[in-house]
Amino acid sequence: MDRALIARGLKRCSTGKFLLWIAPWIAMLIFGLYAAGLCLVKGLNQTNMDNRFAFGLWIFLDLTVIALGAGAFFTGFLLYILKLKELRAVINSAVVIGLVCYSGAMCALAVDVGQPLRFWFTFWYPNVHSMLTEVTFCITCYLTVLCIEYLPIVLKNRKLRDVPQFLVFEHELHKLIYVLAGVGTFLSFFHQGSLGGLYGVLRGRPFAFREGFAIWPSTFFLFIISAAAVGPSFILFTTWLVQKISRKRLVRPEAMQMLGRISGLLLAVYVLLKTLDTLVWMNRTSPATGFAASEYYSWNPFGTWILFAEIALFGLVPAAILLTPKLRARTGWLVSAAAMACIGVALNRFVQTVQTLAVPTLSFDKFMTYTPSWQEVGTFLAVLAYGVLVYSFSFRYFQIFPEERELKLETAAREEEPALAGRY
Amino acid sequence: MLPWNYGFHWTSGTMIFMGAFYTVLAIVASTLVNAAMRSRRALRTRQTERIRWSEDFHDLPARDRQCRHVLTGEISYRECPPAFDCRECQTHSKLIANHPPALVAESEEDIFGMSFPLDRVYHRGHTWVHTEADGTVTVGLDDLGRRLLGEPDRVDLPQPGARVSVNGTAWRASKRNADVRILSPVDGEVIETGGPDAPWYLRIRPDLYDFRNLLGGHEVRPWVMREMERLQLALSAESAVPTLADGGVPVQDIAAVYPQADWDAVCGEMFLEA
Repeated sequence: MDRALIARGLKRCSTGKFLLWIAPWIAMLIFGLYAAGLCLVKGLNQTNMDNRFAFGLWIFLDLTVIALGAGAFFTGFLLYILKLKELRAVINSAVVIGLVCYSGAMCALAVDVGQPLRFWFTFWYPNVHSMLTEVTFCITCYLTVLCIEYLPIVLKNRKLRDVPQFLVFEHELHKLIYVLAGVGTFLSFFHQGSLGGLYGVLRGRPFAFREGFAIWPSTFFLFIISAAAVGPSFILFTTWLVQKISRKRLVRPEAMQMLGRISGLLLAVYVLLKTLDTLVWMNRTSPATGFAASEYYSWNPFGTWILFAEIALFGLVPAAILLTPKLRARTGWLVSAAAMACIGVALNRFVQTVQTLAVPTLSFDKFMTYTPSWQEVGTFLAVLAYGVLVYSFSFRYFQIFPEERELKLETAAREEEPALAGRY
Repeated sequence: MLPWNYGFHWTSGTMIFMGAFYTVLAIVASTLVNAAMRSRRALRTRQTERIRWSEDFHDLPARDRQCRHVLTGEISYRECPPAFDCRECQTHSKLIANHPPALVAESEEDIFGMSFPLDRVYHRGHTWVHTEADGTVTVGLDDLGRRLLGEPDRVDLPQPGARVSVNGTAWRASKRNADVRILSPVDGEVIETGGPDAPWYLRIRPDLYDFRNLLGGHEVRPWVMREMERLQLALSAESAVPTLADGGVPVQDIAAVYPQADWDAVCGEMFLEA
């Protein structure tokens, strides 16, 4: 039915099968939109957040997806600025993932902050002393950049490129895409950093408070490096997942391994810096505020295991795997390490938001636990469903993986090789 | 100060912060405007066909973008930088100067039962150009292209007086689910149209008698051999088994013997359209 919209030479499932695939995600999206609507109409009393737990599931989700979506800016930087041509195979996918992650995070934030019709207040009445203002400005700008980067992918659709204006605009815009890649890198550098800085400047929360350089706490730099490290890993993981679900070869193993190597290298740097930061915090920063670091880990379930899991299990181990050529060459190890790196960064963001707020800091404080309400979970699921739907439609109707057709022919060539030998 | 924002004052910090923000916005906006202006200029100067080919060429698999001198074995690997327009290629000129093409004794190449007369030159998108006595050129589909489309379901030819350009659309043809544009081998003005039943599709008055972008003589056989290999792979990729049997020849209407194959994909591959 929609064959004319699908790129020539690409095989996609039937319309019926596609509808079956998207139906549960649409149901989840509708449920999530209802939950989000309740929060917007009735207020945050629909959530289990309160004055103490002001950052809950949504902020954890925001921080995580923005870190995972960093693959868009970092891959763009590597391809268009550093000219690593192998990454051309995944750049479109990275842009879609970035767009989904950032727009999803913005939607969740709109529900969290409330009064979405007043979104422009932050630009007109900026609190220039707040890192959150910088985050808001940068993320808004970067989302705009991502939308513009997504435009050529859409305009390259088989039917749309029949319109000369679309074809020519796509061509000309693509020639200037390196400017947007540069701008995206600049914006991402600051908002990823400022998101980390938000926690590092919390003097009233010694668990999160960090010293740093000039006005930037160490978490500013750690967030940038961790996002840059995990972005390629997330692209690697999602590409593998799409290959498995669609049962197609979409990307050459060399491109996947390059993503793994870059991710591993940055992850190793991150683990090293994170370890140093933790040691400084344990031995100097935290005692200076009157807390021994061990006190923070005496509250179950947030024992020292979480520190070990964050740095060693989901940091050092995947970095070691990704930096070992023999292991990297094996898909199982490569994908597992990429997934572990993603879990590691999610865990780090969880620690920064939830554990920071759960640990008592004043003498009359108690250790608090927080379980999100179904409305919070519903909104979270809406973002997930939205991401899957946007990606599914993009995969079906746009050329997310430019080498797919070539790889299909290559596979045929490999199968035909004995038959072709010597004939022509 | 911003209107109605009474608490806001410009300081060095706010100027740096807001300055950086608005600079970024200005860069993004100017990039969009620049792209829009360049597009407008390209549309006005009728660059659409050139751009369409440029995009299609870069979307071709790397092995299909090979230089003509790879086909003849003069070079082992080289992707064609001028996108099959050898008129601009210095490497091509140098290679021709160093190794002038050998004369071919035959007047026609018979390859797998297909006829490729050598009194004409061939475009890699399966069209040929024949110079007529009156100074015009006729353009038609080569034997492989003809067999791929068989009896086309529909052919959209340009009107006499229309202009065509090298690697731009010469005409469109439909066969089963395939709808492909056939690339023009020459620049010029269409003065008469033929069709599938005529000996040629277009009679053109060329702007220049420069056919250096086209294949001829000793190049035809290796090119057709490569095209047969490409066809076999395209058919295999579309699961159109069994493919060409050893010793056999392509039938007159190849599409008819592969009713299950995605003919649009096969034709796109063979006629070089993404």
